[in-house]
Amino acid sequence: MNAQTCSLDIRHYLGAHLVDVFQTMLSINVTAVTDGRPPTFAERVTGSVGFGGNQVTGAVYLNLSARLASQIAAAMLRLPPDETIGETEVNDVIGECTNMLAGGLKSALCDKGCDCAVSTPAIIRGTSFVIESLPDVQRELLVFDYNGVRFTVEVHIKFNQTN
Amino acid sequence: MPIKILSVDDSRTIRLIVGRSLRPYDCVLWEAANGEEGLAVAVREKPDLILLDVTMPVMDGVTMLARLKEDPALKAIPVVMLTAESGRDNVITIARLGVCDYLIKPFKEEQLIDKVGRAVQLQKKEAAAPVAAPAPVVCF
Repeated sequence: MNAQTCSLDIRHYLGAHLVDVFQTMLSINVTAVTDGRPPTFAERVTGSVGFGGNQVTGAVYLNLSARLASQIAAAMLRLPPDETIGETEVNDVIGECTNMLAGGLKSALCDKGCDCAVSTPAIIRGTSFVIESLPDVQRELLVFDYNGVRFTVEVHIKFNQTN
Repeated sequence: MPIKILSVDDSRTIRLIVGRSLRPYDCVLWEAANGEEGLAVAVREKPDLILLDVTMPVMDGVTMLARLKEDPALKAIPVVMLTAESGRDNVITIARLGVCDYLIKPFKEEQLIDKVGRAVQLQKKEAAAPVAAPAPVVCF
């Protein structure tokens, strides 16, 4: 098995999958932004799920502003958009959304011959953290828009060359 | 008699969605956050149906399912797996584990009710009228 066998258009797959997750679970429509300009966040909520196997390792990150994360949690829990929601509930919703994104990517990779397993989700909150990838790790950044507010999905992925 | 359903998922959000979906129906819902807790509730309550997540801390859904199948008192309980992993091999693996059905996340609440309704006879609370029975599924 090698990287060629595992070839998957990650951007295309995740772009479509995220729209499906948000439409199905939250009944909200998001659109992919093609100008590629990522947002800056005053306070950021990041959901992360790792995946790993013999041929592939990586992680999926869902990056949102704290305000948008709260709005998404409200949509999932069917609460009014401006309802104050505790961090625990917001974290759980964003973690579950990230889990669905990573689970779909994992399935697509497995169908391409790259068996791997996913971790349980983790949440990072803060105002000034940066997620960097190692030089030999492929990084894909997708930007989306919901009601004029941008958020991103980031995938760090490394295909291991094996014979 | 209300239907007894056990929802095992580490996500409180998913357990909440399950509870919200089942609210109109005559059923009692128990919740557990991992396989270990789920097994304990299953032993105690003998539910009519278990909705089981796959990837969870402490004890995952696959291990819990294996333990259920080892227990003569629990092995006949139908299990519907809820998973975010839709890959071909994953679906085959799940089927071989002896589940009744599976539901891929993301899902709509109507899809969940459809799956539950195929495994147990759901009745609306108000009229106690049975939900239109969809085609039955054969549990593995």
